[in-house]
Amino acid sequence: MKKGKRLVAVLLLTLLLVTLAACGGGTAGGAASGGGASSGGTGAAEPIKIGHEVALTGGSALWGQAEKNALDMAIEKINADGGVLGRPLQLIAYDNKAEQAEGVNVANRLVNDGVIAVIGPAQSGVAIAAAAVFEEAGVIAIGTTTTNEKLTVPEGQDEALRYIFRSCFIDPYQGDVAATFALQDLGVTKAGILKDVGSDYSTYLAMYFSETFTGGGGTIVADESFRTDELEYKAQLSKIKDAGAEVLFIPTMQKEAGLAMKQAKELGMDCYFLGGDAWASDELVELGGDATEGGFFVNIASLADPVLKDWVDEYTAKWGRAPVMPNPPLAVDGLYAVVAAIEATGTTDTAILADWIANCKDVQVLTGKLTMDPQTHNPLGKPAVIETVQNGEFVFYKGIAAAID
Amino acid sequence: MALVFQTLITGLAIGGIYSLMAVGYSLIFSILNFSNFAFGMIIMLASFIGYFAMSTGYVNLGVALFLAMAGAGALSFFNERIAYSSLRKRHAPPLYFMISAMGTSIFLENMVYATIGSQYKAYPQVFKVPTISIFGASLGKMDLFAIIFSIVAIWFLNYFIQRTRTGISIRAASYDAAIAEINGVNLGAVIGLVFVLAGFFAGISGIFLGVKYMAYPNMGWITNKAYVAAVIGGLGSLPGAVTGGIILGVLESFVSVYISSTLRDVFSFGALIAFLVIKPSGLFGKYLEEKV
Repeated sequence: MKKGKRLVAVLLLTLLLVTLAACGGGTAGGAASGGGASSGGTGAAEPIKIGHEVALTGGSALWGQAEKNALDMAIEKINADGGVLGRPLQLIAYDNKAEQAEGVNVANRLVNDGVIAVIGPAQSGVAIAAAAVFEEAGVIAIGTTTTNEKLTVPEGQDEALRYIFRSCFIDPYQGDVAATFALQDLGVTKAGILKDVGSDYSTYLAMYFSETFTGGGGTIVADESFRTDELEYKAQLSKIKDAGAEVLFIPTMQKEAGLAMKQAKELGMDCYFLGGDAWASDELVELGGDATEGGFFVNIASLADPVLKDWVDEYTAKWGRAPVMPNPPLAVDGLYAVVAAIEATGTTDTAILADWIANCKDVQVLTGKLTMDPQTHNPLGKPAVIETVQNGEFVFYKGIAAAID
Repeated sequence: MALVFQTLITGLAIGGIYSLMAVGYSLIFSILNFSNFAFGMIIMLASFIGYFAMSTGYVNLGVALFLAMAGAGALSFFNERIAYSSLRKRHAPPLYFMISAMGTSIFLENMVYATIGSQYKAYPQVFKVPTISIFGASLGKMDLFAIIFSIVAIWFLNYFIQRTRTGISIRAASYDAAIAEINGVNLGAVIGLVFVLAGFFAGISGIFLGVKYMAYPNMGWITNKAYVAAVIGGLGSLPGAVTGGIILGVLESFVSVYISSTLRDVFSFGALIAFLVIKPSGLFGKYLEEKV
């Protein structure tokens, strides 16, 4: 009996070790896929290393892969045109699986590899965790879809971290855009809100929506909430319906938004539905069904945006499928900002580059002109797009900038 | 007035599902004296069984219900045989069961993440026109069906436990397992049966939750509410589980509408604490020693 147990223990231990070894191997394999575009025919000049903190596996891999494709394509073009300061660019991409702990590991490896700037991460939580590493090492990091304010200006601080930037707008800005759109384009004055109190993203969007909406002459007739993971909103929705809301703002993740719209329709609500960029997933339509039809949401970038048309065509031709929005153009924006900084200053000293990016004005990037707010390291007046659901697909509705920055 | 009525209907619809889950919880509690936290995961797995069955397009709601009940019954049975029976034979204290249950629960959840993935799975639409209107309030047809089906299922369970010979042995075992065993009750078989019955209820709840919302790996958390409902009604008591579920659903619905939706869970879990402090036996509990 005893012997049997010991045997089992030994077997289990062996299994554990084998599994660990296998996992370790997997990580190493994933990392080796980095460095897509390396020195391309510009002689012996030492390449300028640009890091890419990206999720290449896991739930966010779809966007991560698209980011990497876009960066590979951009760098290939830059190198073909003679590189930057006569030196080629080299992209070093490591998989952070969109996990915070892995994000810190990847940050350390990139710093170790001697990159001067990093594109990514794409997730606010991962970026905040990795930011400490980059800031200390003096490596520029430009987040792609990191819309959480606190990434560049941490809680309790007045000034932005010197080396940390983002190429997208911040969460509150989406609230402003949504409210401006509701007032001006939908022409409504009574709004209801259904938000997730367990999420900063949701509560901030709701707060800024309320401010801009009431500031523009509208009224919030019902401000309701639920806790993250809660799935039953009919009580809240019937109150919003009773209050006579003409538009329902649902600044939540796609799961909650889809269900909320479905339940609202079941209650016979026929107001407009409006949301933020977290809606932009096929799951919204899958979970919400017909109820999502005609819903509007703010997004960071859209495939159908006329500004991006040539780039989208080029990407599609090269990779055989359209880019998964909105990450790729924002990653390219970040890369262009770094390239512009190196060309303007003629150096790769990261302190000088960071200060240049912080104060840059009207720099031509992929999605338009980039102007950085030196106080917050957020792009100013970044245009957002409004998309709508039509026959179960997301369709570009219009480009819009908020009334208030 | 319409809002009051609508709020009541909303509360009853969600309360019905709380009741179903609370019945499963209570069944197991009544016989093994511990809270089976793995129960939520059985519900989740049942929901996935239903999803995969129905999304093939060949299976209607009735067949999906049957498959989910059978699947969850089997899973629940093996859950007991693998995770609890050896503890039971060694007369381990309830704390060990709870730890084993948590382990099982985390294991199952992560298995689903690893194999099926973290995506949310939406069931195909069951009814073309999903709602009917009563006195200005809208009631989901699926909710109505769920309530009726739940009542029938709970009635059958009650009949089985009160009127049949096997039912009597379950009640005897839940009253005092040792004495029942001495008197010729096959305890292992009775416990296995109780887990299968609880699994049936997990299967029903899983399908209804899936149709009403969706199937996803961490949906098992919702059983926290079932646990609250079971405590309010009296852990181990079947009428208590049903009443507790309905009370909790309606309470939550009214708190959301007339007080504050942010405070809903404060009220739900406040009710849990209040009952544990003031009336730990719940509304219908018969015995209270060593129950929590």
